[in-house]
Amino acid sequence: MSADSHDHHDDHHHELPFWQKYIFSTDHKTIGIQYGLTAGAFLLFGFFLMIVMRWSIAYPHEPLPGYLSWIFTEDWKARWLADGKVTGETYNMFGAMHGTIMVFLGVVPLGFAAFGNYVTPLQIGAPDMAFPKLNMYSYWIYLVGGLIMCGSFFFESGAAKSGWTNYSPLAGYADRQFVNQLMTGQTQWLIGLVCLITSSLLGSVNFITTIINLRAKGLTWMRLPFFVWAMLVTGFLLLLAFPPLEAAGIMQLMDRMAGSSFFMPTGLYSKADGVLDISGSGSPLLFQHLFWFLGHPEVYVLLLPAIACVAEIIPCHTRKPLWGYKPMVWAVIILGFLSFIVWAHHMYLTGMGPVISTFFQTTTVLISVPSVILLTSMLISLWGGSIRFTMPMIWAAAFLPMFGIGGLTGLPLAFNLADLHLHDTYYVIGHFHYVVAPGILFGLFAGVYHWYPKMTGRYMDNFLGHLHFWPSLICMNFLFFPMLTQGMAGFHRRWYNGGDAYLEKGAEGVNVFGLTVLDKISWNEVMTASAIAMAIFQLPFLLNMVISYFWGKKIENDNPWDATTLEWATPTPPGHGNFTFDPAVYRGPYEYSRPDHDEDFFPQWEEPKRSQSSETPAPKEETSA
Amino acid sequence: MADSPEEIKKAVKKFQIVGAALFVGTVITVLVATVPALDFGGHGLDGVDITIGLIIATIKASLVMLIFMHLNHEKPLIYLFYGMAIVMAFFCMALIGWSKSDPIQYGNEKSADGFYNADKPATSVH
Amino acid sequence: MEIPFVVNARKDTGLFNSKVAIWLFLASEVTLFGGLFSGYLFLRLYADYPWPERTLPVLPGLINTAILIASSMTVVFAWAALKMRNWRSFQINMAITLLCAAAFMVLKSIEYKAKFAHQAVRLESADHPVLDFAILEGHLHKAEIGEDGKLHHAQKDDKGNYSDEAFYANKIIFEADEFVFPLSRHAYGGFVDTIIEQAQSQVVPVTGALKSFFDSVEKNKSKLGKKELKQFEAAQKKGSILSSNLKNLLEEIKESKISEVSDELMALSEYPITLAEDFKLYEIDEDGKRKELEKKNIPAGESLSKSVIAYAEKYFLKAKSEDAQLRTHYLKSAFAKRREAGDDRDGWQIAQSPEFLELQAENAKQIKKRSYSAPGTITFKAEKPLTLHLDPGYVITKDAKQLTLRDDTTIKGTMGDSSMFLAVDGIDFRFTAQRAEEKGIAPEAAITKSWVLKQPELKKIWDSHQEWLRAHTEMLDAKSDKKGLKGEDRYVPTDNEKYRVNWDQIVAYQNYDHKGIYDRAKATINNEASEKCLEKPGWIAGFAGPNHKKMSFPEVTIPRENIGFESTFTPKWNTYYAIYFTITGLHGLHVIGGMIVLGYYLFFGRKMYESNPEWLANRVEVGGLFWHFVDLVWIFLFPILYLM
Repeated sequence: MSADSHDHHDDHHHELPFWQKYIFSTDHKTIGIQYGLTAGAFLLFGFFLMIVMRWSIAYPHEPLPGYLSWIFTEDWKARWLADGKVTGETYNMFGAMHGTIMVFLGVVPLGFAAFGNYVTPLQIGAPDMAFPKLNMYSYWIYLVGGLIMCGSFFFESGAAKSGWTNYSPLAGYADRQFVNQLMTGQTQWLIGLVCLITSSLLGSVNFITTIINLRAKGLTWMRLPFFVWAMLVTGFLLLLAFPPLEAAGIMQLMDRMAGSSFFMPTGLYSKADGVLDISGSGSPLLFQHLFWFLGHPEVYVLLLPAIACVAEIIPCHTRKPLWGYKPMVWAVIILGFLSFIVWAHHMYLTGMGPVISTFFQTTTVLISVPSVILLTSMLISLWGGSIRFTMPMIWAAAFLPMFGIGGLTGLPLAFNLADLHLHDTYYVIGHFHYVVAPGILFGLFAGVYHWYPKMTGRYMDNFLGHLHFWPSLICMNFLFFPMLTQGMAGFHRRWYNGGDAYLEKGAEGVNVFGLTVLDKISWNEVMTASAIAMAIFQLPFLLNMVISYFWGKKIENDNPWDATTLEWATPTPPGHGNFTFDPAVYRGPYEYSRPDHDEDFFPQWEEPKRSQSSETPAPKEETSA
Repeated sequence: MADSPEEIKKAVKKFQIVGAALFVGTVITVLVATVPALDFGGHGLDGVDITIGLIIATIKASLVMLIFMHLNHEKPLIYLFYGMAIVMAFFCMALIGWSKSDPIQYGNEKSADGFYNADKPATSVH
Repeated sequence: MEIPFVVNARKDTGLFNSKVAIWLFLASEVTLFGGLFSGYLFLRLYADYPWPERTLPVLPGLINTAILIASSMTVVFAWAALKMRNWRSFQINMAITLLCAAAFMVLKSIEYKAKFAHQAVRLESADHPVLDFAILEGHLHKAEIGEDGKLHHAQKDDKGNYSDEAFYANKIIFEADEFVFPLSRHAYGGFVDTIIEQAQSQVVPVTGALKSFFDSVEKNKSKLGKKELKQFEAAQKKGSILSSNLKNLLEEIKESKISEVSDELMALSEYPITLAEDFKLYEIDEDGKRKELEKKNIPAGESLSKSVIAYAEKYFLKAKSEDAQLRTHYLKSAFAKRREAGDDRDGWQIAQSPEFLELQAENAKQIKKRSYSAPGTITFKAEKPLTLHLDPGYVITKDAKQLTLRDDTTIKGTMGDSSMFLAVDGIDFRFTAQRAEEKGIAPEAAITKSWVLKQPELKKIWDSHQEWLRAHTEMLDAKSDKKGLKGEDRYVPTDNEKYRVNWDQIVAYQNYDHKGIYDRAKATINNEASEKCLEKPGWIAGFAGPNHKKMSFPEVTIPRENIGFESTFTPKWNTYYAIYFTITGLHGLHVIGGMIVLGYYLFFGRKMYESNPEWLANRVEVGGLFWHFVDLVWIFLFPILYLM
């Protein structure tokens, strides 16, 4: 509660030792970059797991090629591969960890923690987060949690294998043969999760406090950049949605370690263990409820930072105010609220009562309204703008249609009846990967290209940027679009051999969409090739990050994009404490191309001239303590 | 919040009264639950007893929140997010508690083995 | 750089930073406990067993509630004292708060300890397979395995202590001859340790030369140190000796004739479980011939130890790995050959083609010639049967000749007497009744057939209970003119009263002949003179549950085949205890967290008080808010867990 103990006053001229400046730093910008790099590393690892899985789907009869298997030791291969081929068990392990890593260790920390940390305090004119030490603890707890989860790959039990959702009863008794239950992947997953939740809670408390209390003079609620609004809502989602999952995690930990039956039904039998020595009367449904109570808001925790980045980039690179700023703010607030009461649309097949299914179906359809408001506003913002196709803008422009596909393909899943057919097929995978990969990740890439000059003082290279963008866009679509059609043909998301085994029994079996597995199975190889190609075309990005840092084109001034929000009023890169003057805000966040102003942008911090006295001056009484 | 010493002295008196009320509430809850003569509703634990117990607990909790945590004169922002948390927790409890209510499937036909009893049709409406 | 609004409130929000933060944190706590309460609600609403209502002793919970309320008051007094700049008063109030918190945790741990020591068994009987879900509660008694290899009650020595061999009598007793450890499941671990440990503490009779050696040591006892003397005496008494102890003794008494007895001593120090056959390892030499790796073999007769198994597993894995490399190589080459031959179909089509299968058949021959191998299991034999007593949770399947442990270790031998000795302090037929009703059988009929009522002591208690129930029902009938809203009878005995005999009732019934219970119950109801009444122990006597040291309870021996499910009153026993321990445990962690924070202000706050008293007051306010929240949660937990 009181990490704000600053007994000493930091001296601006005092140089901190290396480990304090870059490792155990309390500066929100350094922590943001730490988050970004760590999350990036986790994303790459999760990507690698996915390529191994995709190999297994496309070539279930062939051993892993050398370029995928070199990372494993011979002992590991002997245990987890069959004649060099991926086994079902290994596929499950990689699948569970791919999901976990991408969601909990990759995208959330990258979007919320990295961008949020770096940009939010700058945009609200704060010297730092409200609790800098707490911020540092957040990062380190996150890192420890992530390492605990991934460390279990080296255990005899292997890492968790019960899906990223960790459904009981499977997750409740997996690895039961191990005498020491603590040292199993499944248990470590839970411990890691508890760490991650703790980190998120500390982070969200910090973010919300910062946004509420550390805004600059004159920065009223409706002058907040949309980015900050999105971060505020995201903070609340994390704050209120994560704790029930923490409860569920602790309960599942009890099931595994103390033999309780929170999520274990009566009479549970497994082939290896017989009738389990448990009391029963628990319910897997309870776990799903508690999991998805977080799980659905989590989707918006992933999404909102990306929308936030795009909403900043579009006005700046089209030289036009964001269309419908106020409706967007209200939409994001309503979206946040509604996201808490739609969770059970993930659970239509669990045997919940139909009454409650109907309730959740209704709220789920409702939530598409604010989502569409957000997307439409950004789309309309392009209309009539003088679009500058800079690297960030290209990514942001691609975000719109890609996220559109992701969002719209979700509609059928909201309906009970359609979902009964599509549940657990590749259609679902295609849908949410469209949201997350070409949607959210593109938005975040746009953010990287946009704020990189502020972080380093240099632009990222355009040629490498294009070499990154175009192949990524093409590969993404070749990877994910076939999933939608495969899903309609009935491809199940947990087929480790890509439907191959299914062919022997019912190759010609036609499902309700009139598609067969045989029709669609050849797409597997195309999709896998796309995935591998996509991996290759991330190299230009990595190179770009490094090369531009040293040799990139230097920016001309502190505000290279001629943007209006406060982060561009800082020196480049911003020093400890951020601002060299006491920032005050005089107008809304997106004052581009104002006819009464000479330049085509009018920054929030620029004092109005006398002729523009209609603009509210900063309230004088708000001085810092 | 009260800042001058007089106001705080007044507040301390209020805290003492509330503390006493909490003790009394606790004793009443226990008496209602354990003394047969004070057993409201039917004999033994039933809906009436549960309701009384929860009402007393809610009153006690409200007293703690309003007076001890001085929510009776707090800033609107705090009402906003604490209230939101209570609403979310309510959704969580209500919807999860409601989730099996199904006039068609979850009737008495479920046998104690945890399997559905094939003898009784699954569509029997109660 | 300085963060604004650390001490003073921001004008437009009216809040200082840490106040915003604590309320946000409390908001997240609301949903944390909201999630847990949702769990409680769901588990209770949809429980398929009779939910234990009003099952905990109320007194500790009541005291704890009072303690928390008191501490909530003192923490606001402490804050008020700071606001009035009265350091002394702050110290006193804060100290009381901390003492209250400590008292709360002490009471909590007393409750927990009582639960952990309390055993419960759900019965199962062969002639009553679906319905005997009777539950017995009680304390386990300790047992020993006697020289006849059978289960006996453990005897206390003069000082009132049990010997080291005594264990709580709910173990699976097994005479083991052979142990097969799997090398392929990579899971062995704790069970090997258990077996080795129990083998080491085997009772070995001392005879012949060794006995005379012991005698000579006996004569030189004065030369032994205190510790060695104790070891020696223990060794003599048990007729066995641990190898490490033995070494100490040998070093201590050099003048005894060690050489004469060294063989016997060595035999004693080694427990007799040895490798059954040579564990042979092979490698393939340059000519592709299989060659035995004699130097690396483990010879038969090697004693059981974890390192031997680890060694065997290492080589098993090595062989498997080499084999996998070989197979991977050939599989890859088969695909490569097909693709070189111009087959550009999908992989799954190639894999089904006859040409490919032909190639694979060819490869199989090569692989067979060059394949490495090592046994997937390693087998040890006990020279004479080893009596194991194993935790029932370790054992997955058991029959008269073989046990399978959770990690797939197989033990062959003979099942021993694995009964449970239980001093019964609770008989509960509610589950039986519920299941009987579900099956359309009269509960009473189902109860009569239970294993419990075949035990004379328990039968007597049950009969007494029926007498009490008769009196109780009559008392309720007298009130039954008060009907409910729908005209239903509101005064009928509860299931608890009908089907459950609580510990205080058992204590009461034991003192009287069962036929007299009815009159005594009547006398109690009519408030007659106390010598006619049924005297039950009060709240204090059973503060945290039945006290087996002060009260006596009937003991039964429950055969293993009649135990359906057993556990102490831990999260394992049922979902009620699972949620009870989880919620109160988390709440307890919050209490400890609060203690640390508030204690910090008390013990390290002076400096800040002197430099910036307002800041300290803010912090205490924030810490106090957290503390009130902890109180708030308990205000709900107490009625929900103790009174409903």
